[in-house]
Amino acid sequence: MTTEHFSQPSIWARTWKGSRPFRPVFVVLVVVFVVLAIAQPVFASAQNLQNLLTSISVLWIVAMGMTLVLITAGADLSVAPIGALAGILLAKLLQAGIPAWLAIIISLVGGAALGGLVNGTLIGRFNVSFFVVTLGTLTAFTGIVNLWSNTESIPVNEPVILNLAVTRFLGLSGPVWIMIIIFVVTLFIQQRTFFGRDVYAVGGSISAARLSGIRVPRTIILVYAFSGLCAAIAGIVAISRIGVASPQVDANLPLQAIAAVLLGGTALSGGTGGVVGTAFGVLFIGVLSNGLSIAGVPSFWQQIVTGVILVVAVLADRIGLRRRTKSTTETSGTQPPESITAPEELAAKTSH
Amino acid sequence: MTDTVTPPPLLQMEGIEKSYGGVRALRDGRLIIQQPGTVHGLIGENGSGKSTILGILSGQIRPDGGALLVEGRPVSFSSPVDALRTGIAMVSQETALAPLLSVTENILLGRRLVRGRTGIDWRRSHQRAKLVLDRLGLTYDPRAPIGSLRPDQRQMVEIARALSLDSRVLILDEPTSSLSEDEVASIFQVIRNLSSAGVSTILVTHRLSELFEICDEITVLRDGRTVASGAAASFNPESLVSAMVGDTAAQKRVKRERIAIPAAARDSAPVLTALNVSSEPDLHNVELSLRPGEIVGLAGLVGAGRSDLLEAIFGARPRTGDVLIENVTLAPGRPSAAIRRGIGYVPPDRKTQGVVLGMSVVDNAMMVASSDRFRLRPPGTRRDVQAVSAIGSSISIRTHDLGVAVSTLSGGNQQKVALSKWLIDPPRVLLLDEPTRGVDVAAKAEIHQILVDLADRGVALLVSSSENDELLNICDRIVVMLRGRVVATVARVDADEAKLSRLSGGHLDD
Repeated sequence: MTTEHFSQPSIWARTWKGSRPFRPVFVVLVVVFVVLAIAQPVFASAQNLQNLLTSISVLWIVAMGMTLVLITAGADLSVAPIGALAGILLAKLLQAGIPAWLAIIISLVGGAALGGLVNGTLIGRFNVSFFVVTLGTLTAFTGIVNLWSNTESIPVNEPVILNLAVTRFLGLSGPVWIMIIIFVVTLFIQQRTFFGRDVYAVGGSISAARLSGIRVPRTIILVYAFSGLCAAIAGIVAISRIGVASPQVDANLPLQAIAAVLLGGTALSGGTGGVVGTAFGVLFIGVLSNGLSIAGVPSFWQQIVTGVILVVAVLADRIGLRRRTKSTTETSGTQPPESITAPEELAAKTSH
Repeated sequence: MTDTVTPPPLLQMEGIEKSYGGVRALRDGRLIIQQPGTVHGLIGENGSGKSTILGILSGQIRPDGGALLVEGRPVSFSSPVDALRTGIAMVSQETALAPLLSVTENILLGRRLVRGRTGIDWRRSHQRAKLVLDRLGLTYDPRAPIGSLRPDQRQMVEIARALSLDSRVLILDEPTSSLSEDEVASIFQVIRNLSSAGVSTILVTHRLSELFEICDEITVLRDGRTVASGAAASFNPESLVSAMVGDTAAQKRVKRERIAIPAAARDSAPVLTALNVSSEPDLHNVELSLRPGEIVGLAGLVGAGRSDLLEAIFGARPRTGDVLIENVTLAPGRPSAAIRRGIGYVPPDRKTQGVVLGMSVVDNAMMVASSDRFRLRPPGTRRDVQAVSAIGSSISIRTHDLGVAVSTLSGGNQQKVALSKWLIDPPRVLLLDEPTRGVDVAAKAEIHQILVDLADRGVALLVSSSENDELLNICDRIVVMLRGRVVATVARVDADEAKLSRLSGGHLDD
């Protein structure tokens, strides 16, 4: 028997199909971009676009980790204080004379540990609601940040870190390169590893995943550890841009990241979506806020537009989904409440 | 000639028809209740159309044809509310109560709490609920939360709720399936109280003894037809069972795909042994063993503990007692450990447990085989895709593209995907719960063939099914469960549908 009667669609066909969730935000992004470029020539200048990318780097990096968390049908509200904690840890280590490379590694491991061992273990191992856990750690970690730093910024003079923001390579700043690297790594995890499949399986159906031998608690712990790692990287990038480890916890950061992920077509219910859509979601938020500020429109408008687009995009997807499921149920007919012995079946039995 | 006009029957359903797609669930449903206060038993195998005819009577399903008359007047229900207005109320199999609310709130759920000048008048609401409970002879505290009551008591609160709507016909769909004998007795007392108050009951049950104990009349459905009805006294257990399963010729039409148990299966040592396996409160001291190449069936009513047993062995629910794989104990409570030891499990609900609907055929099929691989390795390699497509074509998964989401496939093909994950790298023991539920006839036959082929390759299969003909079709041996215990084991050559029905219903005398 031949095994090749299943066709393998071309990579383009697959990419087109896979892009369905983030097509709306992509279209809106392109339209907004073109309109801004025509109305405000400054907007499309190389200089401005470089600034734009640098300005979204923190949100972008956090949103990458957040994407995997949302695919598991969770969310991580504690990313902002984890980033701040990693930054303060880095500043204190540098003050204590630890070499920069070691201090960076320790801070990153610390961020991953806070995400994985605290958030991930409570959610994955003890089945506490992600909302309760990460709201709790958001609050508690914020308290630790303030207590530890005495609510004072700690200056960082380490050239390795400060140069990150100013050095340019191929015209792009260090933070932009970091966000590109994080994007590629996350995309690789998502598409090209079994771990990535586990993430989708856990979000798609936690019991199907468990019954298929997937180690669900471990998957969830690693996903929150990755989110914590991304938050720590974002925290260090933030230091490189302002030169101090700030105890200011941006309470808006997790919500903005979740908004970007949702704009990019990942569903809050888990199991679908991905980082490509998230990238467009973050770009949309960045382009809108940059473009409107160039045009002199108050930044509150950016919030209003982002909010409206977010709800409209999810609503459009929901309506489209309803239409699609309706058409499939209509063709297959309503399922009977019990399994029915059909006449054909009886005939089949008698004929044998 | 005297002028006595017999009053029209309280309830009359004649020639009821209903089809789903191409499947005819009901072709000639008939159900007549002559007088108020009658207890009417409704019985039939799975798939005989019981739920459909009751769904039509309670306004949940619209019939394709036939007549429904209440006191001689034709009626047509477009919703359960219409049926309730006419006095027909259904108490469903699964209790639909809000556990944290009080008995009163559940009985008067919605708009029927008594309103005073300052919001809800709780004192009068409780009094009103008490009144309803009194009619049933129940002495519960109307203030108690539902969650503090036993399952049978909750069932009674549901009955009370139906009664508070001034129902004249109460439909009870298997009220006793999950209850102990004492609890069943208390439900029956309530039914008798209702009966003397002029409220009729339609009782669905699989337990023959219960029918004879409480019913005045019995209607038997088979293949969507009412095949017998009459006074309970005119039936006996044998005549009921033969009405349910059809004539003796019908029993012979079962297709026997497996002629003989392979020699290997008869002689070799058991690959799986369950010793004293319990999982309170659903499963008690189960012992059974499986030999390589053997297909063992699990028969029993819904709620008899078949699903619980499979879950307990696989580790999907906590258990006590030992499960041995070739004489080595298996750790409880961890499916991933069971899989590594060579046990597979196809769960009953494919949409939430069997497959991940949003993922592709390849990803679903590879889920088990890859569960032990290093997690940073790439999925969907050429070799994996080839393995899946080989399995896919050998069991005829019908899709043009293995990369499509499983949600786009038909039910039968989804079930084959759920099976395929255990075929890439076959386990030594495969547990299956309702492997053909909700799939079409052709897919059902194909799935049976897959199972028989697996057994021929030396895999031991434990198949739980509520369809006895399916078990007779493929199993070498059938274990019958009742209320969480194994009550009988019969070789297939000694089994027929009537015998399995009797054993499942608790008639163990033969």
